[in-house]
Amino acid sequence: MNWTFFGIFVVILGLFPLVWPDPYILSVTGSAGIMIIAAISLNLLLGYTGQLSLGHAAFFGIGAYTSALMSLGFNVDIGFGITWEVDPKPVWVAFATAIFLTGFFGWLVGKLAFKVRGAYFVVITISFAQVMRMISLNWTDLTEGPMGMISIPPLSLWLPGEGVVNLTSKAEIYWLVLAVGVIAYLLVAMLVNSRQGRAMIALRENETLATSVGIPVTYFLALAAVISAAIAGAAGGLYAHTVRIIDPDVFLFIYTVTMVIMVVAGGKGTLGGPVVGGLIFGLMPELLRGVVQPEVQWVIYGITMILILLFLPRGLVPAIYDFIAWIRSPIAIPLRESKRALVEEAKS
Amino acid sequence: MTLEKQGAKTDQVALSLKGVTMKIAGLVALDDVTFNIPAGKIISLIGPNGAGKTTAYNVISGYMPPTSGKVRLFDEDITGHTPHSIAAKGLVRSFQRTSVFDDQTVFDNLLTAYHLQGRASLIQSLLRLPKFRSEEAQLKKRVWEMLEFLELRHRADERAASLSYGEQRILGVGIALAASPKILLLDEPAAGLNPSETDKFKAMIRRIGNGGITVLLVEHDMHMVMSISDQIVVLNQGRVIAEGEPQDIQNNPAVIEAYLGSGVKRA
Repeated sequence: MNWTFFGIFVVILGLFPLVWPDPYILSVTGSAGIMIIAAISLNLLLGYTGQLSLGHAAFFGIGAYTSALMSLGFNVDIGFGITWEVDPKPVWVAFATAIFLTGFFGWLVGKLAFKVRGAYFVVITISFAQVMRMISLNWTDLTEGPMGMISIPPLSLWLPGEGVVNLTSKAEIYWLVLAVGVIAYLLVAMLVNSRQGRAMIALRENETLATSVGIPVTYFLALAAVISAAIAGAAGGLYAHTVRIIDPDVFLFIYTVTMVIMVVAGGKGTLGGPVVGGLIFGLMPELLRGVVQPEVQWVIYGITMILILLFLPRGLVPAIYDFIAWIRSPIAIPLRESKRALVEEAKS
Repeated sequence: MTLEKQGAKTDQVALSLKGVTMKIAGLVALDDVTFNIPAGKIISLIGPNGAGKTTAYNVISGYMPPTSGKVRLFDEDITGHTPHSIAAKGLVRSFQRTSVFDDQTVFDNLLTAYHLQGRASLIQSLLRLPKFRSEEAQLKKRVWEMLEFLELRHRADERAASLSYGEQRILGVGIALAASPKILLLDEPAAGLNPSETDKFKAMIRRIGNGGITVLLVEHDMHMVMSISDQIVVLNQGRVIAEGEPQDIQNNPAVIEAYLGSGVKRA
C-alpha cells in the first residue's frame, strides 16, 4: 500500500544527514521542513475543508512567540498596576504551551470567521495576522518589538548513554524537524481518512447536502481550524527553538503566500501535496542561489509556479496519480497487445 | 404492498405541521399550513409552480425557520432546529438539484453519508483504536449493502459526477437513506428522468416504503404521484386546498381548477 512507500520515504529522509552531512544543505532542508509542516497544516483547512486562510502565518508566529516567551520567561505590566510574571519554563513545556495556545486561537478565529464564510473568512484571517504583527511590533515590554527576541534556548532530548543533549547541530535539528513533520503528516492522514475527516471533506464538496445527512458544519470547521492552527503553532515553535532568534517578520504576509503556493502547486486536498510542493518551493531558492543572479532566481520561481498552475491546475501530486492511472489503464493493454501482435506478424 | 403496513401503524403521526406561516420579504410563501403525515405511508405533496412545496420542505427540514407555526416530528417540536440536528432525529431530505458529492467515488459518497451511524471519537479515530477499526469495517459493510439496494454496486469506484443523471438521483436518495431516516423527504426525485428510469425509481420508493420508512414526496410527474401515493396533500399559493387519497384528489373540483385540469388531460 501507500504506507510502504511512506515508510521508505521517511527512512531515506532520515538517513540523508548520514549520507550527506553538509551543514549548509542540512540547514536549508531543515528550514524547508519547517515550512512544509506549516503547509501541511494549511492544507487541512484549504485542501480538505475548502476554507482559504490567508492569515496562516499568524498561527505560525503565535507558536513561535509563545514558545520563545515561555522558555525565556517574561514580566509585563498589564495595566491597573498588575504585573504578569512568568518564570522560564523547560523548553518542551514551552513548546507544548505554544501548540495548545495556537489551537485555542484557531478555535477563536474559526468561531468568529465561520459565521461569515468565503471571502469574509479570507479577510478576517488576513486582518488577524496583521493585528498579531502589530502587537508583536508595538508591545515592546513583552516582545521586544522590532528588535526581536534573542537567545531562545534550543529544544533538548534525553538520549540513552549521552544524557540530556541540546539539539543544536544541523543534523540534530534536521532530525527534529523530520520527526515533527512525520507526526504532523500522520495526524492529518489519520484525520482525513476517518469519519471526522470525511465530514470535513463533505463540507468542502457540498455543505447543504452534508448538513442534510446530519453533519454539524460549525463543529467540524472549528475542529479543522483548531488542529490546523495547532500544527502551524508547532511549526512556529520549531522555528523559534532552531533559529533561536525571532522578530515580528514571522507574521509577514509572504510566509502565508509561500504556504499557499506550496499547497496549491503540490496539490491541495492530497496528503503528499504540501510535502512535494514544499520540497520544490522550499529548496528552489537555495538551490538556485549559487547558479544564477538573485533577480533571475525569483523569475524562475515565478515561472515554475505559473507553469505548474497552467498545465497541472490540480497540482503535482494529483497529476502524478493521473499519470500512474493512465499507465495502468485498460487502454494501455490493447496498445501493448497490438504491439506484440505487430511484432509477431513481422516475425512470421 | 404498502397496504399491509398501514394496519400496524395507522394511528401514529410521523410529522405534523400546525399553522405554519412563512413570509419571505413580504411574500407569503406558506399561509397557515396544517397537515398530518401518518407513519409508514407514502405521501405526496403537490401543487402548481410557486405553490410553496419547496418552502414547506425547507421549513420542515430546518433550512428556514418558519415565521409562525409549529412543526412536530413524532410528538417532538422541531420548529427552528438546525438541519443536522433534525437529520439526527430521523428526518432526512434529498434535494432538487445538488444531491451528491461530485468529486468523490460512489462508495465514499455513501461512506460519508453514514456519518450519523459512526460513534468513534476523534481520539479513537486518530489513534486507530480497535473501536475505530471495527466501526469502519461495519460502516463499509453497510455501504456495500446500500449499493446492493440501490443497484449501483458496479459503479462503486466511479466518481459520482461521472454517473448518469438517473443514477445520480438514485445515489442522492441513497445518501439520504444512509442517514437512517424515519421520514424521508424527496424533492422532485423523478425530474428529468426518462420513463424507464422513472419506473426504476418508483420501484425503489416502494421498496423504501415497504421498509417502514415514511416517505414524503414532492413531484410533478402525475403518473408517478397517482400510482405510488397513499395520500396526497395539495398546496396552492401557500395554502392547503385539498387532502386525501389519489382518486378523491383527481375528482376534487378545487384541485382541478387550481392545477390538475391540464394535468389530467395530459395523462
